Amino acid sequence: MSDGGGTASRSAKLRRRERRTAWAMVLPAVGVVALVALFPLAWTAWESMHLHDLRMPWRGRPFVGLANYVELFSDSRFREAVGHTAFFVAVTVPLELGLGLVLALGLDQIRRGRGLARVLVLLPWAVPTAVAALVWRFMFEGEGGVANQLLLGVGLLGDPLVWFADSVMAWVPVLLADVWKMTPFVTLLLLAGLQNIPQALYEAARMDGAGGWQRFREITLPLLRPALLVTLLFRTLDALRVFDLVYVLTGGGPGTATEPLSLFAFDALLQGLRFGYGSAISMTVFLIAFLFALAYVRFLGHADLMERG
Amino acid sequence: MKPARHPLTILLSLGLTFVGCVFEDEGVTRVTISGSAVGAEADILRRQLEAFQEEHPDVRVEIRPTPDAADQRHQLYVQWLVARSPDPDILQLDVIWTAEFAAAGWILPLSSFDPPTDAFFDATIRANLWQDALYAVPWFVDVGMLYWRSDLLDSPPSSYGALLETARTRSERIPHGFVWQGARYEGLVVTFLEHLRAFGGRVLEPDGRVRVDSEEAVRALTFMRDAIYAHGAVPEAALTWQEEQTRLDFQSGRALFMRNWPYAYPLMQDSSASEVAGRFDVAPLPAGPGAEGASALGGAQLAVNAHSDEPAAAWRVVAFLTGPEQMLERARGAGQYPARRDLYDRPELADALPVDPERARSIIEAAVPRPVTPVYTQLSSILQIALHRVLTRQREPAPALREAADEMRALLERVELRPGASAERSDDAVPRASESDAARADAPAAIADPPAATTDAPAATTDPPAATTDAPAPTTDPPAPTAPVSPSPAAPGGGGRMGV
Repeated sequence: MSDGGGTASRSAKLRRRERRTAWAMVLPAVGVVALVALFPLAWTAWESMHLHDLRMPWRGRPFVGLANYVELFSDSRFREAVGHTAFFVAVTVPLELGLGLVLALGLDQIRRGRGLARVLVLLPWAVPTAVAALVWRFMFEGEGGVANQLLLGVGLLGDPLVWFADSVMAWVPVLLADVWKMTPFVTLLLLAGLQNIPQALYEAARMDGAGGWQRFREITLPLLRPALLVTLLFRTLDALRVFDLVYVLTGGGPGTATEPLSLFAFDALLQGLRFGYGSAISMTVFLIAFLFALAYVRFLGHADLMERG
Repeated sequence: MKPARHPLTILLSLGLTFVGCVFEDEGVTRVTISGSAVGAEADILRRQLEAFQEEHPDVRVEIRPTPDAADQRHQLYVQWLVARSPDPDILQLDVIWTAEFAAAGWILPLSSFDPPTDAFFDATIRANLWQDALYAVPWFVDVGMLYWRSDLLDSPPSSYGALLETARTRSERIPHGFVWQGARYEGLVVTFLEHLRAFGGRVLEPDGRVRVDSEEAVRALTFMRDAIYAHGAVPEAALTWQEEQTRLDFQSGRALFMRNWPYAYPLMQDSSASEVAGRFDVAPLPAGPGAEGASALGGAQLAVNAHSDEPAAAWRVVAFLTGPEQMLERARGAGQYPARRDLYDRPELADALPVDPERARSIIEAAVPRPVTPVYTQLSSILQIALHRVLTRQREPAPALREAADEMRALLERVELRPGASAERSDDAVPRASESDAARADAPAAIADPPAATTDAPAATTDPPAATTDAPAPTTDPPAPTAPVSPSPAAPGGGGRMGV
């Protein structure tokens, strides 16, 4: 009895010490996260509850509670920016995932010159976004731009189009450029996922007489699910915060027809110098992205992530 | 405590010794100036600063290069000035920034230096007044002009109607009739203001009321839109163009008319680059159904940083650079129009400028200053979006202008410091605001009264030039802060803008 009690107390003590050690070991990491992630976030949240306008220093920096958010939600430009962002995500992410999957499957099949093929596919992703956006802008700009020449050549256009002065057509270069730029990234992640699938499974399936489509549906897709989820998460979060591409390509125009949330925030912060209001926009962008991440992990990825862990 | 020397002290004294070696004279004052640092402008500036230093061996002036794009320069200035950097001492300002910088307390009132305001064009002085005090000295003037093809036409059109007619019935060989700056940026506001003035409208009343939703404004904007889509006189591509794109279009012979600033003239006379050299001329902007034609007033001014360590020396540099001979040199070297009125009688100017000085003077005298307010950039941004939406056919002129006007009213109301508002101010207000709270509490009205440069501009002169850390005290008796007469019923933030 007493023996058993001693063991229990000793193991409890041990466990406590272990826990302490564990905490001590993660502390630096927690500290770094707090410093680089939580602190700026908290600062922005605090700032978003102030009236802070560099153009009106005589108004000081009073605490205004949620007034910036109230103004934000009654701002039609904000609501439109939310719509544009949602549209951008809804179009580019599925396209990139679909194209990326096709490319990854293709690359997975290649036996010779694999390395070269991968480098070629990855190339667009390696180009800095601002540079790529500038090139796309040149292609769509002016009557003599590549896009106009091409479409005039095949007879799809009668007159050259002024893409950036048309609230609908201005989306075309934006969406195309993003799909061109980010599909390679998706391909890379999915290719890594494909290579984790043991070949033995395919051989067994083939022995059992499964066709190509069956093998894809019953083996490839389920086993690729974790990679697909991670990719979906990355792409959605990235697309939600899209900035540089639109900034260089359309500047959010014509009017504000292609303005996403991040550009709206930039405009309020750095052009308008409204730090409080701009912080409120930034917080909203953060919250939306955070909710998406949470939803993905909760409803789609939980089981898979656990399994893998 | 033993007298240990801090390493920093040693470093500092070493640094000072070094500085002392470079500037051998003991009593040398260093002053820095920032502004355009490229091309002919930079050469002239360098030359003139050398001349200044010969005359004043006790002052050394250095140039701080800044980006040439106005928005970027503005951002950089704000970063410096918010951080209260004493450097650069002298700032080249765009004409629409003076009120903003003055209201923020970033630049010094210059009245105590007794600037020769009478020598300058009235409009250029008014654009640099804030609370009746002068905050910047006009350096050169920019005015919008109508460039027209003198090889294809006998005379320039005198009205927008005539211009439209000529542009519409142009020969097939000229792809574009009339080109102007239509991208979503400040230039679009300028183009619109010039149309608006010819149609007899204005953005703000002299008392500060927003009038951009008036009947005249709707007509002017409708005219601009129809010139693109209904008449094919203005190319749709102009909606993505700034000054340079319009110049390239006109100088390659693709347009009959162009609205642009004077800078384009010498460039397009260069026959190695321009296909229209010797085949174009400039004229005042045409009249409209409501009024004479008028161009928007642009140009550069020089101001002194409120945190400058050497405001007196900085002023001497400003006074020198804005002197008559320097302005003439600028006109000769860079084609920039002097801001001093009497120079237009000088024969040297006639040789320097492409335009007859008498005509140039009348264009400048008729020029319209843009609203003088510390929130000009925001007003302009609201207007830019509305105009661009209409011109790209996303909205109709009337509702778009009505919404823009509501938004502007809400903004102006937000700017205004209402009585008692200071009570709401929290403790962590920026130090500057609390330092001179009493002086500023009722100071900045949203809009400066553009007309009537009143004779008494006294209060600002109480500020000695040396008191650099003090806020430039605004006048103690504010010149009638102008509340918008028809305030938007909505809370700040403009929930009222949906009232279509």
